[in-house]
Amino acid sequence: MANTVKPFQFRQCINIPKSTGYKANSLKQLRDLINLVSDESIYHHTYQYFLKGNLLEYTSDFAQWVGESLEDRALSEQLSNIDPYEYGNISALRKVLINVIDSYLKNFPEPRDALPGSEFYFLDTSAIIFNSGVAARNLAEFLIAIQHVDPASIYFHFFEARSRLGQSVDDFSKWVEEVLGKDDLAEKIRAIDLFMHNIDGIREHLEELITEEVKKDMDSIGQAEQ
Amino acid sequence: MIDRYQNIAPKGDLILLNKLGEHFRDRSFLHINSTKEGGGVAEILQRMIPLMADIGIDARWDVINGDDKFFDITKRIHNAIQGNPQKFTKSMWDYHFDVNKRNLSDLALEADAYLIHDPQPLPLIEFRENGTWIWRCHIDASNPYGDVCDQLIRYCKKYDSAIFSMPSFARAMGISEFIIPPSIDPLSEKNRELSADEIQGTMDKFNLDPERPMILQVSRFDRFKDPIGVIQAYRLVKKYNDCVLVLAGSPASDDPEGAEVLNEVKEFASDDPDIHILLLPPFSDKDINALQRAATIVMQKSLKEGFGLTVSEAMWKGKPVIGGATGGIPLQIVHRYTGFLVRTAEGAAFRIRQFLNNPVMIERMGEQGREYVRNNFLLTRQTRDYLSVWYTIENGDRPMFNI
Repeated sequence: MANTVKPFQFRQCINIPKSTGYKANSLKQLRDLINLVSDESIYHHTYQYFLKGNLLEYTSDFAQWVGESLEDRALSEQLSNIDPYEYGNISALRKVLINVIDSYLKNFPEPRDALPGSEFYFLDTSAIIFNSGVAARNLAEFLIAIQHVDPASIYFHFFEARSRLGQSVDDFSKWVEEVLGKDDLAEKIRAIDLFMHNIDGIREHLEELITEEVKKDMDSIGQAEQ
Repeated sequence: MIDRYQNIAPKGDLILLNKLGEHFRDRSFLHINSTKEGGGVAEILQRMIPLMADIGIDARWDVINGDDKFFDITKRIHNAIQGNPQKFTKSMWDYHFDVNKRNLSDLALEADAYLIHDPQPLPLIEFRENGTWIWRCHIDASNPYGDVCDQLIRYCKKYDSAIFSMPSFARAMGISEFIIPPSIDPLSEKNRELSADEIQGTMDKFNLDPERPMILQVSRFDRFKDPIGVIQAYRLVKKYNDCVLVLAGSPASDDPEGAEVLNEVKEFASDDPDIHILLLPPFSDKDINALQRAATIVMQKSLKEGFGLTVSEAMWKGKPVIGGATGGIPLQIVHRYTGFLVRTAEGAAFRIRQFLNNPVMIERMGEQGREYVRNNFLLTRQTRDYLSVWYTIENGDRPMFNI
């Protein structure tokens, strides 16, 4: 059967960390270096944290280091509450991170240093984006693909897309809306709070929403046939 | 060969490997180190070269030769990088260079990319004529002694890029420095699937009861691996739970300190029939594999560690690991997710008891650990990363590439 629908081509990315040469062994140094390092480095330690996909206790490398290595739980909680996707650009995010640390330092001007060996190393990355070899032409195929693509593909289309496309849009909902014309499903996908889930959690939510939509489609086909 | 990794390695890694293989088809990638046998570098290269060749790259591996004097100097360099006090003279550095120069007649330095492993062949960069040159440092350079790094950096600066295993190992050298952790090969003798009979064979050989919970640490008899701390933890556990402890390592006959530590361990273990100290000869990969698979919990309670790949080996076998929070261990053990990080014998004992009283936790963390290794610490990922660095350097070292 001829099909003119533009397929959804699953892509994914790998990130190879690179040393920036900067390291912090105290909160003050961390603060100063957050102010200094490249946008790519801030991006890596915040947005790309979600690519790790295994923990929910912290939401950025900064929060994790402050919590684990400096044992400043209160500040760690505050840093973990910073949702990078709320900010339109790295400059805004960088400013918020610094403000939170500054206000903590005002109240606790002498936090302890990290122990030797537990310093924070600022990294950035070199990313390679490539076609994952999976494509979907309809929602049923899309569902199967969502269940089986690598976590890095979910990250690329759902998390990374937000900073690429802006306006809280991800690749999945964009395709569902623009190609399949399913505005409601697109809205539901966009409503998933990505800050509150790891990649597996996002995959489960997508599966649920798409399964429901596929069932609905099948029901309406069945009813039309009767 | 890459087909053998289907359904083992992440699909994306294999796709990217094939794409990079296509991109670099018939171009040459030359690894140079100083030994074909022994040590983690040779072990991984033996597996990586055929994999690179299989995806279409003209992958080669050469070694530089040297005499005892050369290897004495490079051993000192190695130790100094790791922070041990060493004395160097100008003539030693000159000899290091001269031996590399002498090797030129035996090495075919005609490749599109060179990956030079560790400090022994580092000066070869002085004879660079073509290609992309990358230095791969496998050593923990976080606290080097004296000016050893300054001596090496004069060579490093001439490379296009360097690769370190961990961020803390890297040094600011004015070139791109990538962080690429080492890996295990899931198909090697040490990590391949074993049949129940093969595992039982090893258990019988060492007179181990498969019905009893087994705590295992596989490591050299080295104080930094804290075998005494492991026995202390076992004794604390033993008051509450039945278990046996297996400490498996090489006899280290060429290492006087190793023999001393082994004696200390034996003495400390006393005549406890449930502590098994196994002296495994070199090339005991299958037995190590079987022990890891038979274990209930695996320990790597190091006080100081390089990367500690035994952690990934155990995790790959679905075992939860309790490890010291040092070196590369925290990169592999995600605390409370794939195992536990500990700092004391008491901490280790507490976590062992938690596991022994919660088989579901053992299973869950073991499974999560295996997936974590699948996504982060397999040979396919490391090979993919090396080729990606080559690609990145050749294409202008930008933050992002679409291929």
